[in-house]
Amino acid sequence: MKGRATQRSNHRIIRRLRAIWTHQILRLQKVHGFRGILIMSMVCVFCIFISAAGASDQKARTLTELIAMFDSSSCKECHEEIHAQWETSHHARSIMGIFMDRYLQRGVLSVKNPDDATKKNFPCFKCHFPQLEYATDEVASEIAAAILGKDKATMKKLNINCLVCHNQKGVVHGRPERGMLYGTNSVSEHEDKRYKRVKASPIMKRPVMCGQCHGLGPNLEFEHPVQCATLYGSYLHAYVPSGGAKTCQECHMKDADHSCPPDFNKRGEVSARLKKALPMEVDTLVYKSQFTPGKIIPMLVVKTKITSKAGHRIPDG
Amino acid sequence: MPQSTTSLNKTMVYGPTKKLGIIRDTSIQPFGAKEETFQVRVSESAKKVNIRVDLSYQPRPGDVYPIHSVIRTLAMDSH
Repeated sequence: MKGRATQRSNHRIIRRLRAIWTHQILRLQKVHGFRGILIMSMVCVFCIFISAAGASDQKARTLTELIAMFDSSSCKECHEEIHAQWETSHHARSIMGIFMDRYLQRGVLSVKNPDDATKKNFPCFKCHFPQLEYATDEVASEIAAAILGKDKATMKKLNINCLVCHNQKGVVHGRPERGMLYGTNSVSEHEDKRYKRVKASPIMKRPVMCGQCHGLGPNLEFEHPVQCATLYGSYLHAYVPSGGAKTCQECHMKDADHSCPPDFNKRGEVSARLKKALPMEVDTLVYKSQFTPGKIIPMLVVKTKITSKAGHRIPDG
Repeated sequence: MPQSTTSLNKTMVYGPTKKLGIIRDTSIQPFGAKEETFQVRVSESAKKVNIRVDLSYQPRPGDVYPIHSVIRTLAMDSH
C-alpha cells in the first residue's frame, strides 16, 4: 500500500514538473519566440554538464559513506612503494598529532555533546581532512563522537590520502572531473574501477600545490578565523623575492618520496635536516677590561649567528 | 597577522588569546639571520675557559631536537 502511495506521489511530482516545463517553454516562446526555447535548452544542457563535472557532487551522509567515497586503498595494488611511503607520513595521520588531538577535544570550537557538532566546528579540517567538504553536518557529529570517544581506529581513517592531492587539490580551477586523477603526466588508460584516466596537472610539481594547505596564515573565510600554517606565505614573500629558486617538492618530495620528510618521530633525521637548514657560526673574543684604574677584569664575548637556508620560515608547517 | 573581525561582534568571546596576530613572530625567515652576542665576566684567576654553545629546537617543553653543539677552549692569559 505504502509503495503504491509513493508511486502515486512520484507521478504527481512528474506531472507537476511537466506542467511547469511546458508552461515555461510556452512563456519563453511567447516572449522570445524560438530563441527562448533555445535559451532554455542551453540552460538545461549547462545544468547537466555541471552535475556531470563534479567528482563528488553528492554529499556523504555517514562517515562510512565519506570514507568509502575517498577510499584510496586500491592505489596500493599498483603503487605499493609510494603507498608505503605515504603510510609513514604525517599526511597519513593528519588529525592524530598531539596538537590536533587536544585541540579537537578541548579547543575553543570543541563540543561536549557530539550531536551539537556541525562542520563549523572543524575549520581545521579545511586542510587536516578536506574531504569533509563533501559531507553533511551529520558526518561532523560522527567525527566529534569519534574524537570525544578517543576512537583512534576511526580517526586514523581520516587523513590526507592519495585522492586529496591527486583528485581534489590537483585541479587549478573549479572542481575535479568525475573519474579523473591528476598527476605529473597524463595516462589515457589508468587501471582502476573508479578513476580511469590521469590528466597532467600543471601545478603538481609547483609550490602552489603544497601551498593550498601549508598556507598563508589566518583563514579569514571562517566565521571564527583560525590562525594556521604560514609556510607558503613565507615562501612567496621572503624566499622567492630573496633569490630562492627551489620548489617545496625538491626538498620535501625528492625523487617523488611520498613520506614527505621531516617525520618528527624520526628524531635523528629531523636534527640532521635542521642542522643543514640552519648553519651556525660561533665567534669568540677574550679581552681584558679596566673599568676601574688598576683593576683588570678578564672578559669573554661569544657571538653566534644562525642563517636560514630553508625555503620558508623556521619553525612553520 | 590581520584578522577579519572588527573585534566588535560576538566573535570577541574568544578574546585576544585567539587573535594570534598579537604574538611576536620569532621565527627565522629564509636567508634571514639571527645574531646574538653574550658577554661574560671571567674570574681573574681563570687561565682557561671552556665554552659550549648549543642550538636546539623545542616544539614543546622537554621535547628537544638537538641541532648544533660547539665546544671551545679559550686561554685567558694569551690576551
